[in-house]
Amino acid sequence: MSKTKVAVIFGSRSAEHDVSIVTAIASIIKPLELSAIYEPVPVYIDKQGRWFSHPRLKDIALYTTGQIDDFLSKQKPLLLQMGGGMKITWPGIKPKSVKLGAVFPATHGTHGEDGELAGTLEMANVPYVGCDMPSSVIAMDKALAKTIASYEGIPTPKYVWFYSRDFMGDNDSVLTKLSGLTYPLFVKPVHLGSSIAISKVNSAKELINAIEVAAHYDDKIIVEEAINNLIEVTVPIMGNASPKAALVEQPILNSDNVFDFESKYIRQGKKGGAKSSESAQGYSKLPADLPKELYAAAEELAIKTYKAIGCSGIARVDLLIDSKTKKVYFNEINPMPGSLYAHNWKKSGLSNLKLAENLIDLALERFKAKQKLTTTFKTTYLKQY
Amino acid sequence: MNQRFLFSLYSPRYPESIIYMLQASEYQGRAYLKWLWRVKDFSLVQHRQSLKRTRKAKLLLLALLAGMGLEILAGLGLIIFGIVSLNNADWSWPAGVFLLLAYPLIWPHLIVIPLEIGRAVFVLPNERRLIKAADQVFADHSGVKIAVAGSYGKTSMKELLKTVLSEGKKVAATPANKNVSVEHAKFASRLNGKEDVLIIEYGEGAPGDVKRFVSYTHPSYGIITGVAPAHLDKYKTLKAAGEDIFTLAGSLTGNNIFVNGDSDGAKSFIKPDYQVYGHKGLGMWKAEEVTLDTKGLSFNLINGKTTLHLHSHLLGRHQIGPLSACAVIALELGMSKPQIEKAVSKTKPFEHRMQPYELGGALIIDDTYNGNIDGIKAGTELLKELAAKRKIYITPGLVEQGEETGKIHRLMGEYIATAKPDIVVLMSNSATGYIKDGLKEAGFKGEVQEVKDPLTFYKSLDLFVAEGDLVLMQNDWTDNYA
Repeated sequence: MSKTKVAVIFGSRSAEHDVSIVTAIASIIKPLELSAIYEPVPVYIDKQGRWFSHPRLKDIALYTTGQIDDFLSKQKPLLLQMGGGMKITWPGIKPKSVKLGAVFPATHGTHGEDGELAGTLEMANVPYVGCDMPSSVIAMDKALAKTIASYEGIPTPKYVWFYSRDFMGDNDSVLTKLSGLTYPLFVKPVHLGSSIAISKVNSAKELINAIEVAAHYDDKIIVEEAINNLIEVTVPIMGNASPKAALVEQPILNSDNVFDFESKYIRQGKKGGAKSSESAQGYSKLPADLPKELYAAAEELAIKTYKAIGCSGIARVDLLIDSKTKKVYFNEINPMPGSLYAHNWKKSGLSNLKLAENLIDLALERFKAKQKLTTTFKTTYLKQY
Repeated sequence: MNQRFLFSLYSPRYPESIIYMLQASEYQGRAYLKWLWRVKDFSLVQHRQSLKRTRKAKLLLLALLAGMGLEILAGLGLIIFGIVSLNNADWSWPAGVFLLLAYPLIWPHLIVIPLEIGRAVFVLPNERRLIKAADQVFADHSGVKIAVAGSYGKTSMKELLKTVLSEGKKVAATPANKNVSVEHAKFASRLNGKEDVLIIEYGEGAPGDVKRFVSYTHPSYGIITGVAPAHLDKYKTLKAAGEDIFTLAGSLTGNNIFVNGDSDGAKSFIKPDYQVYGHKGLGMWKAEEVTLDTKGLSFNLINGKTTLHLHSHLLGRHQIGPLSACAVIALELGMSKPQIEKAVSKTKPFEHRMQPYELGGALIIDDTYNGNIDGIKAGTELLKELAAKRKIYITPGLVEQGEETGKIHRLMGEYIATAKPDIVVLMSNSATGYIKDGLKEAGFKGEVQEVKDPLTFYKSLDLFVAEGDLVLMQNDWTDNYA
C-alpha cells in the first residue's frame, strides 16, 4: 500500500521563519520519515514568499550553514493547483505533479499561522493539520481571543487594545484609555508569537517606549495588567470534538516575569536558575509544580478556552495563575506551538511519530466531516435575469 | 540482470565495495563469494558500515585496482590492435571488448586466489605452530581450566563467571568474543602460570571444532550454554551442532559438566550425571523468592540449610540459571558465601546483550547481539513480564538459520505474540514474511510495522518512542546478510 503524501509547509514571510524550519524538520518531517502510512513532502516558503520543494529541504544543515539561498537560486518555485484537492507541480521541460493527501502547515506568525494558510488550504479543499482559518485568526489576535474568552466567562487579566495608528495620531486619547489599568503592565503586539516585542512596564514613560517598540512589529497592540504572585503555565492540547491536554508545563520566566524569545529558543532555561534536567527542553518544569486542584483547574480552563476559540487539531493555551488567590487566567492561545511542543507530548507518553501521525489523522477526520456539509443551495435567483 | 546491478558494476566505488565485502567476511573466501554472488546492487553494499582502511585492506584494494587497470589497458590495446591491424586479426577486438566489459566480474573472483594461497602457505602453518605451543601451556598449567561452549550465550557466561570467580581467585579469560584456535593460542602465550582459574570460550563454527579445542585446552570443567540453530550453513542440522558441542561433555566426568537445561536444543543430550542449571536453580540448589524488574534480578539460592542471597543487575528470569551455575562453581572452588553474594551483586549486562538504557523517557533493552531462538524466547518472556505503558518489539530476524529459517522465524513470531507487545517493528528482509506468519498464527492483534531502511530507523529511534515505553531490540543483520 502506498503511503499518503503529506506536504509539510514551513518558513514563510514571518519573524518566526527560523522557528518554523525547526518545527517542520525536527518535529514533523523526521518523525514522519518513520511512518508506515504517511510520507512527508517538504514545502519551504522562503522569505520572499516563493514556494519550493526538494528532498534536500529536509536537511537542517542547509539552513544552519546558510547554503539555502544559493540552493534556492538553482531551483524553480513550485506551481500550485487547487480544486478537488491540491496538487504541487515542479515546473520544467517535463513537469512533475503530486497530488497531496494532506497538508501539515508548520508556519509560525504572519502569512501562515495567522489563518492565511488555513484559508488557502480550505479553498483548495485539501485536509490540513491544525486550526482552521477562523480559529487561527482569532487565536493569533490576542485582543480578539481575550474578547471571545471573556464572553465565554473565561477569566483574563484586565486589558485594553488599540491600533498603533491611533496611538501615533493621538497618543493622549490612547493613554487616557490605558489610565484605567494598574501598573505593572504588559505591552504586546497582538499578532506576534514566540513572545517577540513584549515588554513589562512600571511607569507611563516606560509605557510609551514599550508601545513604540510593539508598534514597530504590529498595527494592533494590547496592554494588560500583570498578575500578582505569578505562576505562568502552558498547556498543549490536541483533538477536534473531544480535545485532550498533554502535561501542564511551567516555563521558567525571565527577570521581568516574561517567558521571552531568548528563554524559549536561545537560552533554553540556562539563565534564571533552571536546571537542564527540569524538562525535556530544559526551560520549564514538566509537569508543572502545582497543587493537584490548581493543576486540574489549569487543565480544565485550557480545554475550555480551546473549545471557545473553536480550535481543532492542535494548539497551546498559556495561562496565568495568581498563586495566592489560586485564580487561573487565560493569557493567550497559540494555534501552532513551536516544535508542536513535542517534548511535552513525549513526556505524556506520545512519541514524536505518533504525535505527527495523530495530527494528520485528526485533519482527515475533520475533512471527512466537512465533506458531509452541503455547500450548494438550489434557487431560481438567476432565472430572473 | 537488472539495470542497477549493471551500473553498480562500473561505478567508481565498486572496487572499494569488493574489498569491504572481503573485510566484512573476515577474509573468508567461501563466505565472501556467497555474498558476492547474492548481491543485486553493489551501490547498496556499504550501507550500514564502510571499508576500514587497514593495511591489509589498502594492499588488497591496490592489487584489485592494479588488476582491473591492467585488464582495461589490455582490452583497449586489443581493440586498437584489431582496428589498425592489417593481417585480419579479427579475434582481437572482440577479445578486447570482452576484457573491457568483464573486468568487474573477473577480478572480484581472482582476488580470492592470493588470499587462499596466503592462508595455506603462511596463516595455517603459523596457526598450527601457535596451537602446538598453546597445547603445552594448557597441559602444564596448574589452574582450573573451565571451557565454555554452546550455540549462544558463551561470552556472557564467560564474563559472568570471570566476574564472580574474580572475587576470590586469580582468573584469566579469553578476551571479548575471541574464541577460535588462534585466539586461544594467543591467550595461552600471555599466561604467567600463576592464575587459579582459566576460562576459555569455544567459538565453534563447523563440525569437529569443539573436539579440536578440547584436545589442546585440556579443560577440567565444562559449561554448555545451550544448543540452538546457529551456523547451520556448516552444521546442516541442529543435531550435528549439538553433537559437536557436547564433545566437551564427553571429555569430562559428569559432575564437572554444567548444562543449561532451559535450552530446548540441549535437552536431548543431557545425561543424568550432568549438573543441569536453569530458571529453577541447579540440581539441589533451588531458586526461590525471585523478583525481577528493569533494574535487575534478585533471588535466593537454597540447598538444605544453606541460602545464598543473590542480586544481579542482569535482566530476565533466564539469568537465574547462569548465575546459579556461577555460584555453585564458585562454592566448589572454595569461595565463601559472602564472597559469592558480593561477586554476583557486581554482575551487570554486557554490551548489546539485554543491556538496558534510557532514551527519551523510554527504557530500551538492547539485545541486538542475540542470534538464536532461545534468546528470543528469553527476551520475549522478559518483555511479557515487565510492566510498561506501551511495549515495542524490534527485530530483523535471525541470520544463519539454514534450511530451518522458515520454521525458526515462524516460531519467533509465536514467541513475540506471546509477549503481547503493542507494536512489532520488523526490519524488512527475507525472514520478515515468516515472522509475520508466526504472529498471525499466534493470533497477534497489535500493530506490525515493516521498515525498509533499518539504519534510519535505529538512528531515529528517539522519535519513535515516548515516556513509559519499554522497547526490546533483538538481533542484528549486518551488510553481509542483507
